Amino acid sequence: MTRRKVKLCYITDDSTRKTCFKKRKKGLLKKVCELSTLCGIDACAIIYSHYNNQPDVWPSHHGVQRIVSQFQRMPEMEQSKRMMDQDSFLKQRIMKSNDQLIKQRRDNREKEMTEVMFQMLVGRSLQPFDMIDLNDVGWTIEQYLKDIYKYQSTNNRMAMVAGSSSSSTAVELLAPTPPQPPAPTPLPDHGVMRNGGESSQAVASSSGGLDLMEKQPWFMNLMSPRASFCGDDMMLPLGDTCHTPLWLNNFHP
Amino acid sequence: MMRKSKGRQKVEMVKMPNESNLQVTFSKRRSGLFKKASELCTLCGADVAIVVFSPGKKVFSFGHPCVESVVDRFLTRNPPPTSGTMQLIVAHRNAGVRDLNMQLTQVLNQLEAKKKRGEELTKMRKASIRQCWWQAPIEELNQPQLEHLKVSLEELKKNVAKQAGKLLIQSSAPPQ
Repeated sequence: MTRRKVKLCYITDDSTRKTCFKKRKKGLLKKVCELSTLCGIDACAIIYSHYNNQPDVWPSHHGVQRIVSQFQRMPEMEQSKRMMDQDSFLKQRIMKSNDQLIKQRRDNREKEMTEVMFQMLVGRSLQPFDMIDLNDVGWTIEQYLKDIYKYQSTNNRMAMVAGSSSSSTAVELLAPTPPQPPAPTPLPDHGVMRNGGESSQAVASSSGGLDLMEKQPWFMNLMSPRASFCGDDMMLPLGDTCHTPLWLNNFHP
Repeated sequence: MMRKSKGRQKVEMVKMPNESNLQVTFSKRRSGLFKKASELCTLCGADVAIVVFSPGKKVFSFGHPCVESVVDRFLTRNPPPTSGTMQLIVAHRNAGVRDLNMQLTQVLNQLEAKKKRGEELTKMRKASIRQCWWQAPIEELNQPQLEHLKVSLEELKKNVAKQAGKLLIQSSAPPQ
């Protein structure tokens, strides 16, 4: 079974086209048969080609006549409501595929922004950002935090219900009220589509010309351990991880 | 073999016992059938008509050049008209279909590329988890780790907001 992608256009080579026709005609008739059997419904197919004056049909000449009569007896509107030709069918396919494309782009963008977010956490991301990128990262951070809050609150509820000995820690770790969303910039609708974000480092590249110098203070800030992390009662069993990035060194005197 | 769906698995050729599965199967297979018919017409220049009744007694049909003309040709056993005008009409219609197929191909290619990219990104993240514990799914982190991550993210968020604010001020540039 060949799995080569076939170009959607008329096959100009005569013998290739003939072979293709025979194969696909056979396959099509088989599919009609399967549909009819599996779903217990009436179906028929009529195929005209340049290779034969007589049409290829399924289930049979008589069967087609019966089903076609049944079809034509239906009110005009019922017939045409779900009737398609190449034009309408292809347009429908294009629309569906377009919707899938938009969704996929959005998913990819989320993934890329998450990657950027993780890079930022360890002060590694030094690509220039424009407003759109910043907003998208900001949004991603918010969503991620929301997920954490949700997870923590369900966990804590369970811990408290179970009345476990770690209840004191649970109280400590109760999700704080989520911080206010960044005030100055309204986060745009997440449908912002960008084509620039496909470098192999998965870091969003910006089309705006940003002053890189402007970036420095911000990252310096991030990398310095002045950050107000949680209190001393925090144990951080980092276990076997041999890579401890800068900002975690806070906890390893 | 562990599979999520029954694709690429053998299906017994009898009427499906489960009613809702039957509905879904009808919907999917009908769609696939029309797709195959469309491809047959495009690739091999065939004229085709397919008529299908749904489990709910609705009728779906696909035809090229159109269901009616093919059905009429079948019923009356008349050869298709080949007048000069007819040929013009056919040529015009085929040109339109050609365009649509090109459009569709474009979109499908883009979709495939984006899908691949998506898989790449997922793979990358999975690979990073070994060295970067904070990239693991939230559910797999212990409480201290989670807390640490949370606080760092909150800090990062503030910084991003600050940076965004700076940009905003910059972009509403001072008057010359």
